[in-house]
Amino acid sequence: MTEDRFLLTIIGQLLAAAPVTLLILLVSAVLATLLAGVLTACAASGSRVLRLLSAGWTFLFRGTPLILQIFMVYYGLAMLPWIRQGPLWFAFRNPIFCSCLAMTCCCSAYIGEVFRGAMKAVPIGGIEAGRACGMSRFQLLRRVIMPALTRIALPSYSNEVIMMVKSTSLASTVTVMDITGVAQGIISKTYRTLEVFLCAAALYLLLNAVLTAAFGLWARRLHIARRTSAR
Amino acid sequence: MTRSPIVLTASNIRKSFGTREVLAGVSLDARAGDVISILGGSGSGKSTFLRCLNLLEVPDSGEIKVGDVQAPLTRDRKGRTVIADHRAAARMRSQTAMVFQGFNLWAHMTVLENVIEAPLRVQKRDRAEVCATAEALLERVGMSAFANAYPQRLSGGQQQRVAIARALATNPKVILFDEPTSALDPERVRDVLALMRSIATEGCTMIVVTHEMAFAREVSTSVIHLANGVIESSGPPAHMFGPDASPAFRAFLSPAS
Repeated sequence: MTEDRFLLTIIGQLLAAAPVTLLILLVSAVLATLLAGVLTACAASGSRVLRLLSAGWTFLFRGTPLILQIFMVYYGLAMLPWIRQGPLWFAFRNPIFCSCLAMTCCCSAYIGEVFRGAMKAVPIGGIEAGRACGMSRFQLLRRVIMPALTRIALPSYSNEVIMMVKSTSLASTVTVMDITGVAQGIISKTYRTLEVFLCAAALYLLLNAVLTAAFGLWARRLHIARRTSAR
Repeated sequence: MTRSPIVLTASNIRKSFGTREVLAGVSLDARAGDVISILGGSGSGKSTFLRCLNLLEVPDSGEIKVGDVQAPLTRDRKGRTVIADHRAAARMRSQTAMVFQGFNLWAHMTVLENVIEAPLRVQKRDRAEVCATAEALLERVGMSAFANAYPQRLSGGQQQRVAIARALATNPKVILFDEPTSALDPERVRDVLALMRSIATEGCTMIVVTHEMAFAREVSTSVIHLANGVIESSGPPAHMFGPDASPAFRAFLSPAS
């Protein structure tokens, strides 16, 4: 096999694994964002219990390594008889499910902090203006707080999602055949460590380039405000 | 002589922050067409009182009624006074409007969007009618050329004029002005005061916390001097700025003499 053919073949094999990486990313990014919203709402709520729960969740999942969380969900929970015999065993023995679960928990803690910080930075004056004209609490959230929060949070949020792209590679440690998992498989057969990992890295780079461009576009649309001249 | 109807009543408003009593029982009736200037030194509670009128600040006790809407207050478990019925509070607020010292336009909306937001979303009025009204109001405040601009592109004076158009757009029973010119440079102050003067002459009911003595003297129908959390004296401007005004108010006007 010529060198070019070899490279093309491994890129093909890695690309075939890209849907797994994308699946983990998509599922955990969407769920982590929703959960982060819930955590933020809890952190801002009047209930002490909810505030403590939110803070505890963040403390726990932000304070421990993601790889250990993935191990504990996939290998650890399988040690418990009531999980093995429970109705959800079909899910907990699936490594992709376990990776998504651990990623969701971990990343929700980070994204929750991004949202919480943004929440504090929403100008109080705009909120008061909304109240003063008789907006309901839902209208205030929907029309004033959320748009302001999105604009403040977007740069840090896109940063978190890009971190998540790279974190998906940890799923390969629990037998998931994502881009990294497949790369390791090829290496164990061919010993072409450098070429294969370089190709895998290039794929992650490409994925992040696309995401960066998408977030850039979104930011530009939201920040029209800063660019439109007064004329 | 028939008097115009009362549009806003505040009775015996009390408010403390911690152990500091800011308002020790302040009452006020505003009739349609009144322009009431609230004057007082810093810390006299004048802004707090104004913010109590639309419940941006919840008074510890007292009653506020706008038109025929009253928002009941209650106490939470810790004994703090809170709004009992948020719908009633929103209904009450939708009959008032506020112009802030810091303008407080919504930064993510254009000038026009700022003006049509409350009529459209809160009052659920017809879009075409609201847009026509908003454009006329922007014309009126001299900002129609900026309808599609975002607030941060505008000077303070321009933002405040938009904020006044936004306040007028809901046809409020009363507009509350919280030191509307204090954050502006002197030339802009003139523009904004001229605008306030002209809406006052059109019969708009206004309650104005201000340091602009010329405005209080020439435009108000009555002047209230707030000191130490109570109304120290009040009356028509001819009296308040005349020789028979209370010594405390005269001292406030010219502290040097």
